[in-house]
Amino acid sequence: MSRLVVENLTKIFSLGFFSRRHIEAVKNISFKIEGREIVSLVGESGSGKTTTAKMILRLFPPTSGKILFEGKDIWKDLKDQESIRDFRRKVHAVFQDPFASYNPFYPVERTLWQAVNLLEKKLSNKKEALELIKESLVRVGIDPKDILGKYPHQISGGQKQRIMIARCWILKPLLIVADEPTSMIDASCRGGIIQLLEELREVEGTSIIFITHDLGLAYYVSDNIFVMKDGEIVERGHPDKVVLEPTHEYSKLLVESIPKLYRKLEGL
Amino acid sequence: MFSTMIRPLFKNKKFIIGISIFLLFLLLGILGPTFYKVDPTEMTWDYEQPPSVEHPLGTDTYGRDILAQLLHGIRSSLYIGFLAATISLVLGTIVGSLSAVKRGIVDDTLMAMTNIVLTTPSILIAILIASYLRIRSMEAVAVILGLFQWPWFARAIRAQLMSVTSREYVYLSIMAGYSDLRLVIEDLLPTIATYAFMSFVLFINGGIMGEAGLSLIGLGPTRGISLGLMLQWAVLMEAVRRGLWWWFIPPGVAIVAITASLMVVSTTMDEVFNPRLREE
Amino acid sequence: MLLKVENAKAYYKLEKVSVKAVDGVSFEIFEDEVVGVVGESGSGKTTLSNLVSMNILKPLTLVEGKILLKINGEFKEISSMSREEVKKKLWGKEVTIVPQSAMNALMPTIRMAKYVEHLAHSHDLAEEKLLAKAEKRFEEVGLDPLWLKRYPFELSGGMKQRAVIAIATILNPKLLIVDEPTSALDVVNQRVFLKVLMQLKRMGIVRSIIFITHDIATVRQIADRMIVMYAGKIVEISSMEEILRKPLHPYTRGLLNSVLTPEPEIRKRGISVIPGAPPNLISPPHGCRFHPRCPHVMDICKEKDPPLEEVEEGRRVACFLYSEERR
Repeated sequence: MSRLVVENLTKIFSLGFFSRRHIEAVKNISFKIEGREIVSLVGESGSGKTTTAKMILRLFPPTSGKILFEGKDIWKDLKDQESIRDFRRKVHAVFQDPFASYNPFYPVERTLWQAVNLLEKKLSNKKEALELIKESLVRVGIDPKDILGKYPHQISGGQKQRIMIARCWILKPLLIVADEPTSMIDASCRGGIIQLLEELREVEGTSIIFITHDLGLAYYVSDNIFVMKDGEIVERGHPDKVVLEPTHEYSKLLVESIPKLYRKLEGL
Repeated sequence: MFSTMIRPLFKNKKFIIGISIFLLFLLLGILGPTFYKVDPTEMTWDYEQPPSVEHPLGTDTYGRDILAQLLHGIRSSLYIGFLAATISLVLGTIVGSLSAVKRGIVDDTLMAMTNIVLTTPSILIAILIASYLRIRSMEAVAVILGLFQWPWFARAIRAQLMSVTSREYVYLSIMAGYSDLRLVIEDLLPTIATYAFMSFVLFINGGIMGEAGLSLIGLGPTRGISLGLMLQWAVLMEAVRRGLWWWFIPPGVAIVAITASLMVVSTTMDEVFNPRLREE
Repeated sequence: MLLKVENAKAYYKLEKVSVKAVDGVSFEIFEDEVVGVVGESGSGKTTLSNLVSMNILKPLTLVEGKILLKINGEFKEISSMSREEVKKKLWGKEVTIVPQSAMNALMPTIRMAKYVEHLAHSHDLAEEKLLAKAEKRFEEVGLDPLWLKRYPFELSGGMKQRAVIAIATILNPKLLIVDEPTSALDVVNQRVFLKVLMQLKRMGIVRSIIFITHDIATVRQIADRMIVMYAGKIVEISSMEEILRKPLHPYTRGLLNSVLTPEPEIRKRGISVIPGAPPNLISPPHGCRFHPRCPHVMDICKEKDPPLEEVEEGRRVACFLYSEERR
């Protein structure tokens, strides 16, 4: 059984009260993700990749189509609060903007306490929970005393993103949706974030969906790439196939236009 | 958080002046009647007397003591203001946050309702309701006023919360299994707290002015004394034309001073909390 | 040589502290070349671009150093002139800067042509003549001259950026400085824009270009030489091909190895991680500013600031690994 199956997923946004306008953000897309697999949804802004991510995360409902996680339709088969909590434990996310990922009214470790409280196994006391939080921070290369008790504006974007991954270490989810996790942090810190996510996969067998506009990142990390354009998946397959032998007009143009490090673009 | 928000307020001269004036009247309203123990409704034969030692602010046509009336009037006007403001704030917060969190049909219905209340001339409806009630207590007047001044607040916090609910930290809280109620309390309401407080101040203003307006046209509370009622009696007895200044000036000054000071408090808070308006 | 910067230091002087955004940099720009200035956010690359064009506004202050620009065959010390003077006499003709936000700074309610008229006024030129020139320049960057009569909001992002470049180069500036011109564009428009830049240079409209960016893969496409900045200092200057073949400074190496492009070499190479984060520039680390993050750190790095020295023909690097002083 595939870990996640997306079948004929469609999302139509309706605007306006009387004269409704319809925007088809995601058009009838299907794909599968296995355990321990990293895939990327690649597309520009407006391609529907973030909308797809949010439907998988159960943040807003699809117009039609199915999302099956471990064989269960996440929008129809999760009936009671407990099964939803269980889903939340198993599917988690790292978002693009490290600054918007923290509520400025609370210290940064709030996000880790939220994860601890979501755990199935209730911890007997606060001390044990704190140990778990510290352990997860060490795991992502942060000295707990550097950040505990600090507010979001006091720490750097790279650190914030690492704490988000620490949150994933506490939950050990089966699937992580990483929405542009590196696009807003310094270039020299990017590699670290990617390595931490890869490590989660190695150690815990987590599947990861990268949502990104960066074909270079997708090519580097993924086992499978899906290229999205105007709500549809126009190209899919192994990274080498997508990048070296694209077939769709759009992915051809994309691969051709992306600046490369080891070869120059033609006709400049 | 506390020190970074509150301290700059007390460095602002306008704020200090505004809040002092308001606190002065608040103290007058709360403590005045307990220290100045004259029955404001007791009629005496010293009618229409200018200020004297016996009656520091003079008396009205029925020989009632103006100072006693003023102190009780401030107390009830503030009471009506606070009550009306609380009602508006609660209504507005519930409607606004429900709209923002639930979206869809809930949002459409609530906003349709809000727009109806917003566009109907509220003072007219208030007059209609008030004139149907034979006996109007202070509370009834406050409720009537409170029912009509929440729509703009509901719309404003809906807009603000809408933008907050698409922030990543809200998604992360949802993913941590938060219920809608917990989400609203922990993540959403703090972001509108300062705005709600400023609105509350303006709502008090609205309540006090509304009460004065209703009272002036004879639809104020039927029992007790308020600043509006004092003005209404003064108007009825043609105090202005007859030059009985001690009768209409004190309640007038009190209303202007209270509402103006609250206005100053609200705008200076806006300046301090909203860095874009801050003067460097 | 077109431009020479000697030991320039520029700080943002705030009430209590100064942010040492550019702290002692020396380099030169030759005629007929494209130089890429690469660095992360906060490395001082934008401040450097403002420095070179003398676009220095408070609280930024030039603390030390000289900036020499070749004007009519002679070097003139523009760092001793005021911003107003440079703006009046040199901007547009000798040196032009297109700041990072230029494309979004266009007023949506002002027609493109109005900007050309402004330019004519500030340089005492005939409006009609300049407008005619602008129409021609629009055509050269691949825009219909009719767009001059339109409002900026009617243009797409890629077109706006080209329009900005067209207007910025009307007076044929010798040196064109562009700051992150491609970061807001999608890859297809990026490519068009790079093409326009190269075309302007080939046509001799601009002599040399300084291209400031955080994106090495983009600048690699057009640059002849590259300047790598870290925490307000230049750590390496080298020809583009050499630096790609063999980066010398450990920071340059780390930065190059964190670039991900869709190429098989990258998958083979893997991704490297520079530990830690860039320092704050109010109190940067003592000695070499990269030493707390450097994998090859030595004792001397913690004490002394490595000078930018020539190690090979045309290659300069600020690192004790390549210096005589290492013992």
